[in-house]
Amino acid sequence: MSSMLKITNLHATVAGKEILKGLNLELKAGEIHAIMGPNGAGKSTLGNVLAGREGYEVTQGEVIFNGKNLLEMEPEERACEGVFLAFQYPVEIPGVNNTYFLRAALNAQRKHRGEEPLDSVGFLRLVRQKLEVLHIGDELLHRAVNEGFSGGEKKRNEIFQMAVLEPTLAILDETDSGLDIDALKTVAEGVNRLRSRDRGMIVVTHYQRLLDYIVPDKVHVLADGKLVATGGADLALKLEEQGYAWLEDGGIATLNAESAVPAANP
Amino acid sequence: MSELNSQLAADLPENTGVRPQWLKVIRETGAEQFRAHGLPTRKDEAWKYTGLGALGLAEVRLATGLNTPAANSTQPSPLAEAGLQLNLLDGQFLELTGDLPPGLTVLPLADALGIGVDGLQVLLESLSVKQTKGASGQGFSALNSATLDSGVVIHVAAGIDAGRLSLIWSTSMGEKPLLFNSRICVILEQGAKLELLEQFESVDNNANTTNMVMQVDLANESNLQHIRFQQETDNTVLITRTEVSQQAASEYNYFGFDLGGGLVRHDLHISILGAGAKSGINGAYLLDGHRHVDNHARVDHFAGGGFSDQYFRGVASGSGRAVFNTAVCVHPGADETEARQSNANILLSARAEIDTKPELEIYADEVIASHGATVGQLDELAVFYMRTRGLNEEDARQLLTTAFCKSVSDKLADPVLSEVISQRMMDVMPQAE
Repeated sequence: MSSMLKITNLHATVAGKEILKGLNLELKAGEIHAIMGPNGAGKSTLGNVLAGREGYEVTQGEVIFNGKNLLEMEPEERACEGVFLAFQYPVEIPGVNNTYFLRAALNAQRKHRGEEPLDSVGFLRLVRQKLEVLHIGDELLHRAVNEGFSGGEKKRNEIFQMAVLEPTLAILDETDSGLDIDALKTVAEGVNRLRSRDRGMIVVTHYQRLLDYIVPDKVHVLADGKLVATGGADLALKLEEQGYAWLEDGGIATLNAESAVPAANP
Repeated sequence: MSELNSQLAADLPENTGVRPQWLKVIRETGAEQFRAHGLPTRKDEAWKYTGLGALGLAEVRLATGLNTPAANSTQPSPLAEAGLQLNLLDGQFLELTGDLPPGLTVLPLADALGIGVDGLQVLLESLSVKQTKGASGQGFSALNSATLDSGVVIHVAAGIDAGRLSLIWSTSMGEKPLLFNSRICVILEQGAKLELLEQFESVDNNANTTNMVMQVDLANESNLQHIRFQQETDNTVLITRTEVSQQAASEYNYFGFDLGGGLVRHDLHISILGAGAKSGINGAYLLDGHRHVDNHARVDHFAGGGFSDQYFRGVASGSGRAVFNTAVCVHPGADETEARQSNANILLSARAEIDTKPELEIYADEVIASHGATVGQLDELAVFYMRTRGLNEEDARQLLTTAFCKSVSDKLADPVLSEVISQRMMDVMPQAE
């Protein structure tokens, strides 16, 4: 099966500073890849670059998503093509009703795909169904987007948006940060319910904890703007035990992880 | 400007034969004052940011009582349903439709002057007094008094809830642009209640000027909800002065929506005269092109235990220019007053300008007061967030600016009207440049 996402030699700068320094990654449909790494490695930059945030300048390399050049697209085109970024810090939008916003977003995506817009009745039916699957109450629907939401509510709202928009590729940027264990379980359960053979996911996280609940197909270690190691789900456990000191102490060979190999460099 | 002043002064009507005597005095006082000071200029502090020269005002002629409105002029369609609807054309009472509930009187001003309505003389004379204090800068009020004739008197008897009355304003297309004067008097007796829904929307793209003065007298425990929606044409000049007097435990809630107009100036002045009176003053202004909207709101707390809340939101793009001046004065003895002011603005272009100035003076004890005024840009991170969900940039910006202004219409008690107005705002929402 060909890859859904192929990132080759990606270099990106933020405010003139190079953050990504030749990142390579290949993701197939149905797979979940975790990206871990120390602070400042470039984890959040990757998510922002893939989503097309202004100020994140790609200086080299390419990103092919479902056969198309992702980097040439506007953020909304990427969304319409099926890319979804769950924000580390979801943005508060005072005065914009959550339901209204999500329907406008879904209908923009449907229009892009040549589908009829959903009317409010049809949309509400879809929303109810998703809420039920995710075990989320409807109290978030009537409020302004993320306004005054607790950390847990914001993250649940991201997962809820993802469930409604049904992206092909979801990037979860430190979705576990700031969550207590119950909120973490709710979010992870939501993500697991959205796992499907047609959908790829990149889970960016600082801690292994989330990966107890979302078991990835592959774990990558991102350090200083590049992937330096790749392994199976057990690599996350090793990282939790051993930290990232090995990065400076002789590299992957010193990391006692059976499945870990140096990251592929095509 | 002096040429225009002379022209307008020359057009002023004769006062011979005007009855009753007190009306003649009001008109003569106005005329005298206008001749002495003319229209305001930028030298008047309150008109510092609003010059009258920009528009076709120079060409304007004073409409006199001889002007007969063309009854077949196209009227705008009403914003919302109302039991009672009054159409005003060229500042004159044109047509009243619907059922007049018992206790509500709606009359052309000229008829009311003939018949005599409780409290009308006192009310009309009170403006005459106000307009002579610090006479310069009050030329429009003087002109309005000098021609006092056209307009409407609305009276609600004690204890009556008169429901909603719509006032639909438009001006007709003549050979030359005209200046129309109109006076609206609203008198609510004790415990009376009324919702006044004003809509200014000329169908023809004319360059007329409407100079309207509204005087509101609220007796104890009465309640007026006043909604003013204006979507005038780009050449229209709309000058309004609203004077509200509030007696004890009365309530006045104002909602102003400025979506159009070439030059719009509204002086809204509230005097809290009785204990425990409440005022909510809300507004949104949306500008682009070369439109100029100037809102001056002032609340004077003369009695204690009162509450006033000013909440205005503005968006300007193109070469739009908004002026917002909000003042609260808590006079000696008006203890335990609570006064809030909030004004936030979004600038969407480099050429647009917003001048906002909050003023607060407190001479009483146990006063709670707050004020804030900001001018900023849209939250770019919020724009990006919305785009990552699939909305295009233009829609994302429009949704954000609409939400910003919608916080004003959301305060309306009637959800249907709130929705209609928020949709109308969305339709004309200025775009970023």
